[in-house]
Amino acid sequence: MSSSPLVHVVDDDDSLRTAVVRLLTAAGLEVRAYASAGDFLLHPLPQGPGCLLLDLRMPGPSGLELQRALQNLGATLPVIFFTAHADVACSVEAMKAGAVDFLMKPVEPQVLLDAVHRALERDRLLRAARADAQDLRARFALLTQREREVFDLVVAGKLNKQIADELGIAERTVKAQRAQLMTKLGAESAAELGRLAERLQRLPEGPLDAR
Amino acid sequence: MTPERSNRGTRADGFGPDLPHGRWRAIWLAWRGVAICLVLMGAVAPARAETARRHVLVLFENNRLLPANVLGDRGITSALGEVDRSTEISTEFLDYPRFSGAAYVGTITRFLREKYAARPPGVIIVAGDTALDFVLNTRAELFPQVPVVHVGVASSFLTSRPPLPEDVVGVPFAQDFAGTIAQALKWHPQARHLVLITGAAERDREWEQDLRRAAGGFEGRVSIEMLAGRPMAEVLKRVAELGPDTVVATPGFFRDGAGSIYLPADSVRLIARAATAPVYGPFVTFIGTGVVGGWMTSFEAMGREGGAIANRLLDGQAAATLRLPQMMPSALYVDWRQIERWGIDPDAVPADAVIQFRAPGFWQTYRKEAMAVALAFLLQSLLLTALLLERNRRRLAQSSVDRHRFELAHASRLAVAGELTGSIAHEINQPLAAILSNAAAAEMMLDRGTARPGELKDILADIRRDDLRASEVIRRLRALLAKHEVERQPVDLNDILSDVIALLNAEARRRRIALSARPVGETITVVGDRIQLQQVLINLIMNAMDALADTPEEQRNIVLSLEGSATDATIRVRDRGHGITAEHLPKLFDSFFTTKRKGIGLGLSIARTLVEAHGGTITAESAPGEGATFTIQLPRVAPGGSAWVGRA
Repeated sequence: MSSSPLVHVVDDDDSLRTAVVRLLTAAGLEVRAYASAGDFLLHPLPQGPGCLLLDLRMPGPSGLELQRALQNLGATLPVIFFTAHADVACSVEAMKAGAVDFLMKPVEPQVLLDAVHRALERDRLLRAARADAQDLRARFALLTQREREVFDLVVAGKLNKQIADELGIAERTVKAQRAQLMTKLGAESAAELGRLAERLQRLPEGPLDAR
Repeated sequence: MTPERSNRGTRADGFGPDLPHGRWRAIWLAWRGVAICLVLMGAVAPARAETARRHVLVLFENNRLLPANVLGDRGITSALGEVDRSTEISTEFLDYPRFSGAAYVGTITRFLREKYAARPPGVIIVAGDTALDFVLNTRAELFPQVPVVHVGVASSFLTSRPPLPEDVVGVPFAQDFAGTIAQALKWHPQARHLVLITGAAERDREWEQDLRRAAGGFEGRVSIEMLAGRPMAEVLKRVAELGPDTVVATPGFFRDGAGSIYLPADSVRLIARAATAPVYGPFVTFIGTGVVGGWMTSFEAMGREGGAIANRLLDGQAAATLRLPQMMPSALYVDWRQIERWGIDPDAVPADAVIQFRAPGFWQTYRKEAMAVALAFLLQSLLLTALLLERNRRRLAQSSVDRHRFELAHASRLAVAGELTGSIAHEINQPLAAILSNAAAAEMMLDRGTARPGELKDILADIRRDDLRASEVIRRLRALLAKHEVERQPVDLNDILSDVIALLNAEARRRRIALSARPVGETITVVGDRIQLQQVLINLIMNAMDALADTPEEQRNIVLSLEGSATDATIRVRDRGHGITAEHLPKLFDSFFTTKRKGIGLGLSIARTLVEAHGGTITAESAPGEGATFTIQLPRVAPGGSAWVGRA
């Protein structure tokens, strides 16, 4: 969230590429354009927020191939496909591979802009969620072994007495460790602890369902 | 009547009454009838020759050349010959009135008696009043038992004499002066004068009496002028001054007032030639001399009647038992030229009139020829029509072949376009999308006030360029797909190649195939149809693309090359695809031959048809695994030339 998002446009058609760059720039977006998939890959993988507007059919590697390559490289930029002619097979493959949108040329500029904004928003959320999870994991790492054991049992719905029996420690000790770990994790109730546990279990995978 | 014929007849009878057999049978029966007659006659004729000798003596009252005598003789001879061709006919002419008098009669009588003593006639035919008179007077000395038949004797002559002996018979004729005059007045209703002409001979005097009697009946209607016994010169002078209200009637004469001898027909000829009024006469022999006509009896008919009576007498019938008509029938004879000359209403001529000298119409004269010519024309016309129809039919068939080829070529282009839909859409949508984006960008810049004049200008220029780009794609496509009329224009093959590359580049890109052309520096012109030539190349390139579908991407290329020699232009389409097997090569250009799963096998067949329509050839060579090369050879022309021969 530090820097402004960057829209990467990959299209072999000079004229169209220029036009799209103009449009996005006019809409206040930062744009970087590439004439081919190879051209895009020659640059360092973008780390900052942004999205990818990909022509499906290009000489050399196609848009779909670039999408696959980026996934393999672990890049998570949302991809919008943008094509002048698509068959059903192509579009299905693209969506399965996680494309956020599949636009047909010629497209209404507003539709294109909306799609770009949607992709950027998604990137933003994704990045936020990823940052959240990272933060949570960092806090969880501060817990001692004993505190983690207590955490697991609390989340499993056990009472302090039961936890003390199970771990063979005093109920009072359990209470203290419980307060300790709640402070470390920044939680204020057992219910909140449950939600955290849920997130921890599910992270780092997938987008957030809550959204 | 051979057995063979009888058999045939019997067989024909057995076939039943269908038409062809019935007709043959009738002919056969007719033949049989004729054969029987011939046999019978052959048997009977010799017997009759033995029983009686048929000899007829014919006595004409005047000379041989009198037309009446010639006609009468013809009638007599033909009638006698009809019954027995071997009947002997002796003819004598008494030559009245040139020779006459008691001494002449005696001489002739002796001559005849002695001449025919050894061969007495069985029947004597006398022709003319005088001849009858002669025979009646000399009969006691001259063949008293021989029956006499008279011919050409006027009924008025008979009534002026005592009745004839029983064995003197004949059918008299009436000189119908009255009927002739009545006819003349009927045809010339304006006539007020009637001029009658006769001569000075004894017979002429008799006719004068007859004429006077006949004309007496018309005295109330016309004034009558009698020119009797005048010299010919006077007569001719008089008839030359007659007015239009006059008609002339005359039996002609034997001798004029100056003593000159005439045949009546000759005298009438002179009169008619001089006359300024129509001339009528009662004798058939006058027709043709210039008379209009008259009620007449045919001398030939008289002769026939006499001959027929003679036949019956020769057969042994008694003269007294013959039943004969009272009078020879007469008829109205006319000379059609005179009818026309005197302006007589043709409708006033009775239908049963005997018309002579009517110039037959074209149709009557040349009926056969005209029909033959008409038939020839008709046949020729039919032939012409048939040939024209045939030609038309062929032309229609040819144009229908052309049309089919045209339709097929067009359908094949549509099919190609169908395959190209993806790349075409791409090519059109690409600039459209650019235009939309540019327009929206410009709008935003203006809205936000961020527009820089230079940038807006660039945007507009780009919009225009993209617009042209899209419309160029559409133009090319429309040219390919339109049902255009086939052209025969000089075309530079370099242009064709670059057009084709432009059309197919997007498709090649889509299929990840490198499509390239090796242009040549010079113009290579052929004469033909630009679109059809494009179509051939498109077809070959699309085939090559299909052939490259399974090859590794680095091998996927198609090269078009162009070469020109002095007389030929050669285009090659080479790919490095899977090639064509040797067994498929010969069938490659056949219709409905295909190795593709979805093909119908018309593409190359159409390509060959189109190339051949341009007077060129198309061939294929291939080594399996090495790809294929298609070679098109077309007759090259000088730029702007038109040496192309062929049909498209």
